Amino acid sequence: MEKVLEINELCKTYPGFALKNISFSIEKGSIMGFVGRNGAGKSTTLRSILNFVHPDSGSIKIFGMEFKNSEDVIKQKVGYASSGTDYYPRKTLGQIIECTKMFYPTWNDSVCSHYLDKFNLDPSKKICQLSEGMKVKFHLVLALSHGAELLILDEPTSGLDPVSREELVIIFKKLAKQGVTILFSTHITSDLEKCADHITYIKKGEILASKSTESFLADYAPAITTLEDIMVHLEIEEEE
Amino acid sequence: MKTLLKKEFKFSANALSYIFLAAAFMTFFPGYPILCSAFFVSMGIFYTFQSAREGNDILYSALLPVKKGDVVRARYIFVVVLELIAFVLMTAVTLCRMFFMSNAAPYVNNALMNANFMSLGFSLLVFTVFNCFFVGGFWKDAYKIGIPFLASSIATFVIIGIAETLHHLPGLEALNTPLGMLEIQLPLLAVSAIIYIVATLISCRMSVKSFERIDLTL
Repeated sequence: MEKVLEINELCKTYPGFALKNISFSIEKGSIMGFVGRNGAGKSTTLRSILNFVHPDSGSIKIFGMEFKNSEDVIKQKVGYASSGTDYYPRKTLGQIIECTKMFYPTWNDSVCSHYLDKFNLDPSKKICQLSEGMKVKFHLVLALSHGAELLILDEPTSGLDPVSREELVIIFKKLAKQGVTILFSTHITSDLEKCADHITYIKKGEILASKSTESFLADYAPAITTLEDIMVHLEIEEEE
Repeated sequence: MKTLLKKEFKFSANALSYIFLAAAFMTFFPGYPILCSAFFVSMGIFYTFQSAREGNDILYSALLPVKKGDVVRARYIFVVVLELIAFVLMTAVTLCRMFFMSNAAPYVNNALMNANFMSLGFSLLVFTVFNCFFVGGFWKDAYKIGIPFLASSIATFVIIGIAETLHHLPGLEALNTPLGMLEIQLPLLAVSAIIYIVATLISCRMSVKSFERIDLTL
């Protein structure tokens, strides 16, 4: 199976925190849940993938290419959505769409309209008038409209109501079937149980496990059966 | 790059950057330090940096399918285009004053710097200082605008002070003649233009390097 994302021995040191030898890979058309507590290093890893954070060492390959040589080509194929992140709060969704679509030859207006309708997003509204959940949905609309082949989603469901989360999970499954690869960081583990093929667990800047969801769950069965309980078990174990 | 420029001019630019281009016509003002017109033009450009920062433009641009370095280059081109538009307007006003209005009473009795090729040269130096201190300073962390603008403003007023003082010094009066000593004024304008081009290119190159090094927070 074609590897869409390969991270090898990624290290990044900050005062008081470090990512240590992060390695994992994602195959085309799969959904990977990236799990860990707040401050475990999920966002830093995702930012490194997007070249926002510069690792001290290690390598990141996206579609077999490195950012150093193919930044613009890679970004054509990648979509990013995050809760708590927004830009141009005083511009309307329509203005942002008009500007963004100029950069993507693959932009599809009908897909854009479809998802705007589906998510009840009004293009005449300003970003600052949207709730956090709606902002995530808008970022997703942008990513889906240019036909991103890899979606990097940082806590995308954390500001959403249960119905919207369920809607997103269904969309993710559908996209994965179409060959879109999704890396999905969250601590709402119930969403992952519904859609993730693989789980990568990060704790204090280190990867504890990166394997199929069945295999990850099997490691703790029968005593512990849900991702949430596994997470609590893994985190509390050390504190005790 | 063409698309990024379109974004800079139509989407990211603050309207004040365009409105402040009208400051170029301050070159008509008698009894006023005409180099301030270049300062006001650069202040107009400052507003684009301010509103782009408030709009989290760096994050938006970094997510677009463009090279990080091109984000910096596009902004520099935006700045240079506005400065050159202002410079063309200032040149038109200066030529007007030099050829058609040099005998007008308010300009004959002007204690401050006259509009001539020398003042145009100093305007380019004001823009050079803005590009190096403010624009270059901004890209060190792609966030801070206050300190770079303060540094740029101080350097600008030092240049204005020097320009307004030089022609009062014995032997340097020729620098202030509206239509004379072109053999001195034109070469000095050419030198200012070379300094503007070289310093802006160096500032842009250094900014690309520092922007590629910094870690962006979302």
